[in-house]
Formats: sequence, structure tokens, C-alpha cells
Amino acid sequence: MVSGLRGTLGVLAAIFWKGMKHYVRYPGSLLIYLMLPFLFTMLIFGMGRFIGGGNAALNFATRTGTSNVLVYEMLGGAVWMTSWVVVEDVGVALRDEQMKGTLEQNFLAPVNRFTLLIGISLTDIAITTAIFLVVVGATLAFTMPGAYLAFFQAFLILLIGLIPLFGLGFFFSGFVIKFKEPYIFTQMVNLIFGTLTGTYYPVTILPFWVQFLSSLLPQTYVISNMRQIILANQTLVSLYGSIFILLALAVVYPTLGYLVFKKLEKDASVTGELSKY
Amino acid sequence: MLPVNYQNIDGLKRLAEEFKAAFMKDFRSYIRYPAWLIGDLVSTPLWFFFFAVGVTLFAPTTQTSEYHGFSFFFFGFIFIVLFSTTIWGVGQSVRNEQMAGTLEQFFLAPANRLTLIMGRWARIFVTDLLVVGYTTGLLYLFGGGPLPLYQPLLFTFALGLFEVGSIGFGLLFAGLTMKLKSYNTLSNLVFFGYMILTGALFPVTVIPMPFRYVSLAIPFTYFIDLMRHAALLTPTILPEGLEYVSGILVALIMLLAGFAAFNWIEQDARVRGSIATN
Repeated sequence: MVSGLRGTLGVLAAIFWKGMKHYVRYPGSLLIYLMLPFLFTMLIFGMGRFIGGGNAALNFATRTGTSNVLVYEMLGGAVWMTSWVVVEDVGVALRDEQMKGTLEQNFLAPVNRFTLLIGISLTDIAITTAIFLVVVGATLAFTMPGAYLAFFQAFLILLIGLIPLFGLGFFFSGFVIKFKEPYIFTQMVNLIFGTLTGTYYPVTILPFWVQFLSSLLPQTYVISNMRQIILANQTLVSLYGSIFILLALAVVYPTLGYLVFKKLEKDASVTGELSKY
Repeated sequence: MLPVNYQNIDGLKRLAEEFKAAFMKDFRSYIRYPAWLIGDLVSTPLWFFFFAVGVTLFAPTTQTSEYHGFSFFFFGFIFIVLFSTTIWGVGQSVRNEQMAGTLEQFFLAPANRLTLIMGRWARIFVTDLLVVGYTTGLLYLFGGGPLPLYQPLLFTFALGLFEVGSIGFGLLFAGLTMKLKSYNTLSNLVFFGYMILTGALFPVTVIPMPFRYVSLAIPFTYFIDLMRHAALLTPTILPEGLEYVSGILVALIMLLAGFAAFNWIEQDARVRGSIATN
């Protein structure tokens, strides 16, 4: 087993570059992640203009507290895409290895499973950062060019929110190995995340029991906090309550996710599920 | 040289048998993985809910009679489901065989490959209709009300035009899968372009003027316009008669062009040896 800081860093770097090479080799997937927030926002805005006519922006402001439709929607869309990347990459990574017939080699390598999952997550930190910089950065550059500090704080919120999200990714990773069919599964999970976390609307307009489910997801806090910081001049300090919740989720989800992953992986290795697809 | 599919076509009965076999093959694959069905049943209404809630933020507090609101969007959602059949049904059929490593066997079989592709289209069209029906019922139960359909015969006719045109478009896409490795990127871009530009979810009049010309140059804009006109009695973009006549002509041209493009691309791929490259 690879041990020591240097050895672990070497493994992490190898997994990270492997993931990056995949994105470079197939740039279309990154292009889609970058374009989807813009396309979805255009769709929602077009439909909204049709429904609301000349008062669409006013009606929107009445319900959300801001008339800046573009920034409001793009923040939600960008965070949704980051969770999409994590679910698709971390959640499906091991299943992809399974399909390619390389999972056994990965698991036989003298590398800790946790290191393997962290390595996959590192690639996603780079990709989600790129999504955030391009999608949110470009939107703010055109609509609120002076909002550098708010942009930086929003980025910090994203980084904190990625930790519990990776925990969810670990959980999905084990789940996918156990139950197969990752693409249907990830499609549903991505859609449920988009719906529950208030991607294009405040979660307060959802029924109470749905709001409870929303409160369990880190992206809900990330989206809400980003909107507060960029559109309502709040700061990380003034939002300490929900930052604290995010930090708590950042401890709980990775721990639970890894435990579930290990359990499902152990079960799969006993029943021979690992090599089945 | 004879066209690629020429030697396989020897009668309508045989075509019907091939079509049935292709349909059943795809249907069996579909029901073999219940997760696909569950995914369709869960994610289809959820997509509608996702967009509908987002759009309500822009709605006036009191509903006006200027738009059909819920019904308009729900038909838009149906038009999107139908187009997804084109892209991921017809278009993806070759790609699926390519990924599974069975494309060579598929093309070597003594059957017309277009019939085989149509079998997949038919399976997805049937399951799409079931999912649309299920979602309509579900939304009715949640208080959405009945879906109006003022001119069902005209709607069916317009739907037929849409399907004829979209099969032609899908055949072109099926051919492109033999040429392009980044098929998913292209299909996603075309799909989102369709959603935004064809007026599926909002009238093309909402689209700003330079871009509206692009919308008006896309045949699907008119197929959708005709279906919505038949369903909700909304005004048509062109005079109604002219739109039907041009719709028929364009749908037939799209079908023939798609057929020709698929044959040409396949022939070219055979020569280059790129049929099964993924």
C-alpha cells in the first residue's frame, strides 16, 4: 500500500491528471457544462417573458427580492452544474472503470480507496472552478463589473459546498456499483437536485415538506448564500448561520458517504458484483 | 454501384417483419432494465415541474386571458419529448450499436438497416406516448385540469408532419454518428437549440428580432406552430393553408434528404472503414 505524504500526493496527482486528460480529450462534455446554465436561463427567461409580458421582471422582483434576473438564475444554474459534474464524475467514475474492465486493476493497485475517491474529486474541483469562473465570472463581468469581493466570497462558498457534495458523490459511487444503471440514476439525481435546491427559484415557494428535503442538501445553502452575497450585499460573516450548517454537512456527508461506499463495496466484493455489469 | 440498402428491399411483407423484429428487440431491451422505465416515469414529470416552478416567478398574480398558461407549456413539453425521440431514438440508434460493438453484425444482417432504425424509433415513440399520457394524468390529479385539444384530427395530421420531418432529421443524425465522435455534444446542442429557437415553450414572437429569423428558418417551428394551433387555436405564423401546404412539402423533403444523407454517409464510412470506430 502506498503510504506517506509523498506517496499519497503522487497517487492523487496521477488520478487528478488522468481525469483532466479525459476532459481535454473529450472537450465536448466541459463545453456542455459551460453552456447549459446559459441555455437553461435563456429558456426560463423566454418562458417568463411570455407569461409575464412587460411586467415579467417586476413580477420576478416581487417574488425574489431582486430584479436582476440574469445573475439570480445564472448563480443557480452554475451551482447546479457543479453538482451535476460531481454526480456524473465521482458517482459514476467507478462504474465507468467497471464497464471498461479496469475496476479490478484499480482496486488491486496498492492505493487506499479513500485516496482514489479524493483523487477523482480533485479533478472535479478544477472543473467546477472553471465552470464557476466562466459562468458566474462572465455574467458578473457584464452585469455587475465592480462586484469582485462578492465574487470571491461566492467562490469560497462554492468550495465549502463542494466538500459535502463529494460526500454525496462517494455515496452514489457505492450505490452505482451495487445497483448498476448509473445513467438513469444520475439523470434522476441531477434533476432532483435541480428541483429541490432552488436552482431557478427560491425554495420558500416549495411545499413545506419539500423545503425540509431541500434543507438536507448543501447546494440549497450554497445557492441561497451566493444570491445573498452578490445580490443583497451580505457577507460571509453575516451569513455565519448557514455557513456553519454547510461546514457541519461537510463533516457529516463525506463520513457517511465513505462508510456507505465501503459497506456496498465490501458487499459487492463478497457477492462478486464488482465484475458484473 | 447500387445504393447501400437496395439489395435488402424485396417486398413490403419482409419490411414489415423486419420492422416488427426491430421493434421487439428494442422493446425487450427496454423492459429488461426496469430502471429505464422508472427513470422515464420519474424524470419526465419532474422536468416539467422544474421549468414550471421557475416560470411562475414571472407570472402575474392574476391570470390573464392572453395566454393558455399551463396548457401552452404542457404542449411545449410534449414537443420536446417528441424531438428527444428524434435525437436519442433515431439518431442514437447507430451509436448504441456502435458502443455495444454490434454495429457490424447489425449492418451485415440481411435486413434493411433503415427499417431496423425505424423499429427503434417506433419503440421510443410508443413509450414516449405512454409517458406523456401518464404525466398528463398525474398533473390532472395534482390540479392541472384537463388538457384542451380543440381540433384532434388536425393535431394528428400536424403530428404526422412533425414525425415525418423528424425521422428525416433523425436519419441524418444517425448517419452523423458514424462520422462524429463527440455525438453527445452535438446532440445536446441541437436539442437545446431546438428548445430555445423553435418556439416549443414560448411563441417565436418572444425571441429578439435578429434571432427570430433563425427560428423562422427552422422547419420544426412550423410543425410545432401547426400542432399548437390545432390543439389550442393559437394564431399561426403563416396563413393557415399556406403553412399546411409548405409543412407537407418540407416534411417530405426532410425525409428524403435524411434518407439520402444516411445512405451517403454510410457508403462513405464503409469506404473509409470508420463505421464501427468510436
